[in-house]
Amino acid sequence: MNHRTALAALTAFAGMTLAGAAFAADPVCGAATGEAATGEPIIVGGIYGNAAPGDWTSSTDAAAAYFKCVNANGGIHGRPIDYRVENDQWNPENAAQAAAKLVSDTDSVAMVGNGSFIEMAVNAGTYKDEGIMVMASACAISECFESSNIVSTNQGPLPSNLGAAMYAREELGATNIACIGLNIPNNGIWSCQAVIDYMEANGGTGSMALLNPGAPDVNSALLEAVSSGADTILINQPAGLALAILKAAEEQDLRDAFNWIAPTPLYDLSVPDQLGEYWYGHVYVNAELAPLQVNGPDAQNWVAVMEAYGNADDPRDTFGQAGYLSARFFVDAMLGMDPADVGDRAKVADAIRGIKGMTSDLMCGPYYVGDADFHMPNHAGYMVKIVEGGFEIVRECYEYDSAYFEPMLAIEKELGLN
Amino acid sequence: MLKRLLHVTPSGAAGLAFAAFAFLVIPALAGKLWLSVFISTGCFVLAIAGVAFMYARLGMVSLTQVGLMGVGGWVMLRLNHAAGFPFEVNLVIAALVTMVCGWILALPAMRMRGLYLALVTLMAAGGLEIIFATYQFPNGGEGFWGVKTGSADAFRRPWLAQTPEAYLRYVVAFVTLGFLFIEAHRRLWPGRAWALIRRSEAAAMAAGVNVTFYKMWAFGIAGVLAGAAGGLLAGSLGLLDDATFRASESVMLFALAVVGGARYWLGAVIAATLYRILPALLNNWGVDADLAFVIFGAGLLHAVITAPNGIAGQIMDLAAGLRARFGKGGKP
Repeated sequence: MNHRTALAALTAFAGMTLAGAAFAADPVCGAATGEAATGEPIIVGGIYGNAAPGDWTSSTDAAAAYFKCVNANGGIHGRPIDYRVENDQWNPENAAQAAAKLVSDTDSVAMVGNGSFIEMAVNAGTYKDEGIMVMASACAISECFESSNIVSTNQGPLPSNLGAAMYAREELGATNIACIGLNIPNNGIWSCQAVIDYMEANGGTGSMALLNPGAPDVNSALLEAVSSGADTILINQPAGLALAILKAAEEQDLRDAFNWIAPTPLYDLSVPDQLGEYWYGHVYVNAELAPLQVNGPDAQNWVAVMEAYGNADDPRDTFGQAGYLSARFFVDAMLGMDPADVGDRAKVADAIRGIKGMTSDLMCGPYYVGDADFHMPNHAGYMVKIVEGGFEIVRECYEYDSAYFEPMLAIEKELGLN
Repeated sequence: MLKRLLHVTPSGAAGLAFAAFAFLVIPALAGKLWLSVFISTGCFVLAIAGVAFMYARLGMVSLTQVGLMGVGGWVMLRLNHAAGFPFEVNLVIAALVTMVCGWILALPAMRMRGLYLALVTLMAAGGLEIIFATYQFPNGGEGFWGVKTGSADAFRRPWLAQTPEAYLRYVVAFVTLGFLFIEAHRRLWPGRAWALIRRSEAAAMAAGVNVTFYKMWAFGIAGVLAGAAGGLLAGSLGLLDDATFRASESVMLFALAVVGGARYWLGAVIAATLYRILPALLNNWGVDADLAFVIFGAGLLHAVITAPNGIAGQIMDLAAGLRARFGKGGKP
């Protein structure tokens, strides 16, 4: 990118940020009455994971901000939402305890905004047994998408990886992708294997290099990927580890030897500055939700909610958008219920399962839940490129091409959504 | 001999009363959060009992107990997904396989004592940590490692303990059996051999005690208890994560066994309380659970400086003092 283009991108981004800030004075939430809710609180839970090697708080932070906004604007039929969150600390025992506290010991009506690498695997059975629905936002493991009582607004690593791989194959000429994932069977291995399958189904090939999340040796994983004979490296990692891998690649001056692609965790506004000039224009990232430039009404409202009700240090990233969306869809479903039923877990679960065709400019397709043993309403996204000061959209909303999505597409057809 | 074996000491009576309380009362009163915490605590009581027993009876420092729990948990998960055996059969096999692993780890360490033995066991724990992190825990896949891509298969809990309340009772029953197992050994000929070895290995050898054999026996018992503890932990969660079984956790477990008091059943309970209940309590209060490490450090200093028999030793001394005062002196 030349200086003029960079300046234009920077100006556009600054303009959009200012536009968001200007809108921040007037967020629209829930019933939008402008009056604080004063009735009996409705308890809603949320579980996030914050411990090495990743901080997954942005989805519950955004959901909390939206619920605060809703409570200041009439709540749910006059009743405020009492949003309670717990940290699973990337530990299965803590994850089970968090669900026991929020679901089994509390009259919570739903879980919203969950973001974790662990808790869905441990608690999927608990959610089913307790009859509670989870509207998650930062799902990273297969159980999150292959369970009856969990639905997420984010895509998770499998679709996002496929989206990045599809773009790399079609636009960058990738024929051999090395996927650097976490050595977790239902996360890194699951999502990297999907990329290998996709490449092999399209005449290419692929491999995976796995990192131990407890003691990640990024140099070893990078060297394994480099030695695989790949022409493209897919960094399937949380943002912190992805940055460490790119820094290691920069030290070895590997930029021009490969195409560099990543799923959505790298779509974080702080990433371009942290990476620096060396990588500008060379890293392609799949965005599961609309990039900031799209700047539709809901995107602006998300920014406004975060400005008015969030903390200054709450991340403004894809998972923040997903947390906001889950909370918004949940509130919309609750507002559509009989006021006498909004404190009843079973009826709230039915209302959530009944969600069909909700839309937002943050998502490429409609949001729905339905009554199934798997849920993945979000399987289309954007592709962006890291540039100075932000991200440049290189491909608008596109559906990912994989046999994995056939059951979801069948359900959407049944619901009349495609 | 039978009379000696079945004799109930005041400490033993208190232990049995506590077990009865934990079996009957706690499951009836605790909410689901605390049931989950107590189940985990019970599993670690069993593991700590093993490491504390080796330290108290033989002066052997094993820093691989949590790693051995991981072995037990691994076998439990593998059998659960691969075979249709009842939970109890899987648990016994997991405990026995872990015992054999304990023996294998112990063989090269048998000629070492003190710091060197501790270092060898710590290195074994490090090795197990790497194996768990590399190969992960079975989740229903094929092959030796039993790991498949994607979601884990469902875990079958024992038919006697389908609910959290029943599972806590189940764990309490196994923990009680574990303590009785140790106590029975202590009261029979292995206990006498261990007492002699602890006093002087040379004297024990001179008296005809096969030192290596009895040390191996002790390692085997610690392995059985660790394996059962890991199997029970796997049963409570349905899956396991390598982060639970890091070598540093074995060091922490041993340190807490010393803080709690390695010679007493109460010491293992106190150690497990510090290890699992205290962080859960801090979490529940919204306080950073890492504060527990500061408290662990203070507890260790306390134990090293003022309480060589740990907190349990101090409590037992206090109880003995009270008994002497009120028992001999009549009414207070």
